[in-house]
Amino acid sequence: MSDLDDFKATYFDECSELLNELEEQFAAIEAGERDADRLNAVFRAIHSVKGGAGAFGFSALVGFAHAYETLLDYVRDGRIEMSDDVVNLCIRANDIVADHVKAAQTGDALPADYGMEEKDRFDALARGERDDSDDDEGGDPIDDFDIEFVPVMVNLGGYQPAAETSSGVEADDVFDALPMQVEPGHWEIRFTPHRALYARANDPLLLFRELAVLGDMHVRAVLEEIPALVDFEPFAVYCSWEITLVSPSITEAMIREVFEFVDGDCDIAIAQLGNSIAFDIPAPAPAVAKPAPKPAKLTAESDRADLLALADDEVADLLDFSRDSDVAVVPALTAEKPSFTPEPEAPAITVQDTFDEAPSLSFAELAETIAPSPIPKRAASTAVTPLRAPAPAASSDGEESSSGGNRSVGVQSIRVDLDKVDRVVNMVGELVITQSMLTQQMDETLRARYTELVRGLEVLAQTTRGLQDSVMAIRAQPVKTVFSRLPRLVRELATKTGKKIKLETVGENTEIDKTVIEQLSDPLTHMVRNSADHGIESPETRLARGKPEIGTIRLSAEQAGGNILIIVEDDGGGINRERVLQVARDKGVVAPDVNPTDEQIDQLIFAPGFSTASEVSDISGRGVGMDVVLSNIKKIGGSVHVRSWTGKGTRMTLRLPLTLAVLDVMLVKVGVSPYVVPLSSIVETIQCSRASFERVPSGGQVLQVRGEYVQVIDLAQRFEMVSETEPENRFVVLCEAEGSAKVALIVDDIIGQQQVVIKSLEENFERVEGIAGGTILGDGNVALIVDVQSLKTTIVHKNAA
Amino acid sequence: MEALGFRDDMADKSAVAAQNSLQLIAFSIGEQTYGVEITTVREIRAWNGATPLPNTREFVRGVINLRGTIVPIFDLRARFGDGPTSPTKNHVVVVMSVGDKWVGILVDAVSDILTVSRDDIHNVPEGNSIDTELLNGIVTHESRMVGLIDLHAVVSGAKMDS
Repeated sequence: MSDLDDFKATYFDECSELLNELEEQFAAIEAGERDADRLNAVFRAIHSVKGGAGAFGFSALVGFAHAYETLLDYVRDGRIEMSDDVVNLCIRANDIVADHVKAAQTGDALPADYGMEEKDRFDALARGERDDSDDDEGGDPIDDFDIEFVPVMVNLGGYQPAAETSSGVEADDVFDALPMQVEPGHWEIRFTPHRALYARANDPLLLFRELAVLGDMHVRAVLEEIPALVDFEPFAVYCSWEITLVSPSITEAMIREVFEFVDGDCDIAIAQLGNSIAFDIPAPAPAVAKPAPKPAKLTAESDRADLLALADDEVADLLDFSRDSDVAVVPALTAEKPSFTPEPEAPAITVQDTFDEAPSLSFAELAETIAPSPIPKRAASTAVTPLRAPAPAASSDGEESSSGGNRSVGVQSIRVDLDKVDRVVNMVGELVITQSMLTQQMDETLRARYTELVRGLEVLAQTTRGLQDSVMAIRAQPVKTVFSRLPRLVRELATKTGKKIKLETVGENTEIDKTVIEQLSDPLTHMVRNSADHGIESPETRLARGKPEIGTIRLSAEQAGGNILIIVEDDGGGINRERVLQVARDKGVVAPDVNPTDEQIDQLIFAPGFSTASEVSDISGRGVGMDVVLSNIKKIGGSVHVRSWTGKGTRMTLRLPLTLAVLDVMLVKVGVSPYVVPLSSIVETIQCSRASFERVPSGGQVLQVRGEYVQVIDLAQRFEMVSETEPENRFVVLCEAEGSAKVALIVDDIIGQQQVVIKSLEENFERVEGIAGGTILGDGNVALIVDVQSLKTTIVHKNAA
Repeated sequence: MEALGFRDDMADKSAVAAQNSLQLIAFSIGEQTYGVEITTVREIRAWNGATPLPNTREFVRGVINLRGTIVPIFDLRARFGDGPTSPTKNHVVVVMSVGDKWVGILVDAVSDILTVSRDDIHNVPEGNSIDTELLNGIVTHESRMVGLIDLHAVVSGAKMDS
C-alpha cells in the first residue's frame, strides 16, 4: 500500500504545481493574453489532474475535470469564444478543481452537487455554441466551399432541444453524452506513429483496442513505406495505419482522447465522413463513405498474438514480394489470416486512392492543427507525470527531438527530495567553515614561505563561495509559488465582502530559499485578507471619497542586499489610529497616560491578544491575526514594518533573510565560552558602565532604557558560569522577544558579527533550556545559540512558582 | 557446489563464534577497567576541549564538533559519581553510537581490545543501584574485572531536572 501512497503523494504534489500553473495562466489570460499556448497549457494541466485522479479513483474530481476539459477543448479549437464570461467561469472552475483535489487529499467528502452549477454551465455553453454552428452551416454557404479542415469543426449534426440542456436532469451524463452529438457516422483516422512513440514504449495495439471500444472498427496497415530488406533500418518506423471507425455516438474529442498520450509522437488525422466532406472530395468519395475492404479487422477481442502473427506474416510477405508488392501484400495477408475476411484486390486499391488523393489536402492541414503546438516550458516540465509513459532519459535521437518539438524541454528539470539538497547545503556549509579555518591558520611566516599554497587557498576560497551560492540557488524558489495562491483568496474575499478588488503582483520571480517560502504563505494570507477585509472600502465609499471603484492590493517582492522585501500595499482607508489606540487602551496594551506616536500606533496591530478579540475586527480596527504574521516572520529571522496614510492606504513591509541555512549572529563571550545571539532579535548593545540598572525587591535587576523598564538576565549567572570580567566592562545586549517584549542579556564581551550555519543539538543530544542550537565557529569550536524567547519565559515561570 | 558448501560451513562457524563471543574495547578510569562492545565504537580521539552546556548535569562535559556534527561528551568518572575529570591532552574521547545518536565518553585511556565469551559474562552483584544501573554485566580478563557499560543508562538523565 505504501507504494500507492507514494504515488498519491507525488500526484498531490503535482496537482498543487499544476493548480499554481493554472492560476498563473489564467492571470495572464485575464490580462488579455489569449493565445493558444496558454490555452494548451491550461488544457494539459487539467488533463494531467484528471488523468491522475482517474488512476486513483477520485471520481468526483474526474467528473468535474472532464466536463471542464471538454469546455476547454471547445475553446481551444475555436468552437467557443474566449469571452470574459468564459474566463471567469474557468477561474471559478479552477477553484473547484482545487477544492476537489483538496477533498481527495484529505479524504473529506464534498457535497454531491458541488460544482454542479458550473458543470451545467459548461454544458450549456457547449450546447449553445453548437446551435450557433448549425445556424452558420445553413446560413453561410461560403463555409461549405471554403472548407479546408472545416469538416471537423462544422459537421456537427444531431441537434438536441436546448430545453433538455437547461433542465439539468442529465447532469450525471455531462461527460458521457457529449453535448455535441454527431449523427451516426464514419470516422477515418490516419495514424502515423513516429519513432518516438515506440521509444516511449507505447504500443499501437493498445490504442486500437481502446478505439475498438468506441465503435465498430476496421484497421488497415499502410505498408507502402516498407523498403526492401536491404534498406531496412531496424529502428525506423515504416508502418502507419488507416482506421475506419463506425459508431453513432462518438465525437472527434473522444477519438483524440485515445491518442492523447501519444500526442506529439505521431501524426493523427481525423476526418468524419459525411455530407460536408463529399463537397470536398470529387470522384472516389463514395468509396470512402463505404470502405468495403477490411484487410485487417481488429476487434476489441483481438489479442496480441493476432497482431504478432500479422507482423510476422508481413515480414514474410515482404521477403517474397520485395518492394513493388504494394498491392499484393494486403491480399497475401488476408489470405494467410483466416479470421480476416478475404477481399478482392480492387477495392483495396480504391481505398488507397481515396486516402492518397481525396482528403490529402484535408489531412495535411488537419495534421497541422493537431500537431502539438509548442507548449510553454513550465507546462512541459510539470506535465511529466509518472502516469505517463516514461520519457527517454536523453533524447539523443535527432528525429525525435525535431518531431517532439519543445517537449524535450521537460526533461531539463528534475524532482529531487529536499532532504538530499539539504544534505548538500550542510556539506557545503562545512566546506566553507573548513576553508575559513585553513585561511585563519595561515600566519605571516607561512604566507611568506608557501606562496603557492596561499594562492591555492585563495582559489579554494573563491570556489567554495561559488559553490555555496550555487547550492543556495538550488533551494531558491520564486515567490510566485506563494503569490499564485493569493488571487483566489482575493476573489473569494471580494465576493464575500461585496467589494471590488484587483490584485497586482510585482517581482514574483524574486527567489527566496524554499524554507522561507514555506513560512511565508500564512503571513501573506493574513496580510492580504487584512487588506481586503479592513483596508479596501466598499465601492460606494470609494466613489464617495473620489477613488476608483475598484480597490487595488499590490504585492511586490524585491531583493535588497541580503534580504528580501515583500510589500503588501492597498489603496484603502488606512489604519484608523483613534480606534486602534482606543482598543489598545481598553485592553491595557497601552497605558492611559502614554501618548504613542502615529507610527507606534500602527505597530500596535501586531500586539498579541490585540487581534484575537473579535470586537476589534467588529469595530474595524485593523489586525486580524496580525500577531501571527509577526511571530511567523520573527521565527524565520525577519521583521515587519507597517506604515499607513489615513484615507490613502496602508503598506506593510516584510523583511526576510534570503536563506535560513545561514544565520546572522552577534558573537559574544559568556565566561570562557562563545555564545551567539541572532542578530534579528537584537535591538541594541550598551556598555554596562553606561547602562542604568535598578534594583527590584526580588534582588534582581531591571534596566531602564528610554523610560522603559526591562528585565535583566545575566547570562553567566543563568548558565552557571564564572564571569571574570569586571562588571563595568561587561555589555548589555538588548533583545526583543516574541510580541516585542524586551529582555536585556548581560554578556562578558562582544566579539563581533558573523554568519553561521545552524546545527541541531537534539540530533545527538537533547533540547537544552535557553539554547536554540549550536554552530561551529571558524576555529572549529562549537558556539551555542542563545534562545532569547525561552530564556525570558523560563524566568517568568520561575518567578511565578 | 562444493565451494559453496564450504563457504556455508565457514559462515556457520563464524556465526556461531559471533553468537558466543564478544569483542570489547577496554578503557580505564583510574585503576578500574571498563568495556563497551566494539561495534558501537565509531571513533577514538584525543581530548581537545569541549564547549560547556549550560543547565546540564555535572557529567555532561559539553559538546564538540565532530566533522560538522555537534556531539555531546559525557565524563564517565563524573557519571560514576567520582567527581569531574581534569582532562589533559592524554585523555581520550571514545565516540560511540547509542541508538541513532552519537555520543562521546571521556575516559583516562583506551587500553585494549578484548574477546570474551558471552557465557563468561557475570551479573552485576545487587547492592549499589549505581552499579546495576550503569553496568550490563562483568567479565573477567586476565584475572581483572571489566565492567560492561550500559550506554543507554550512561547518557540518560543528562538534564538538571531529571
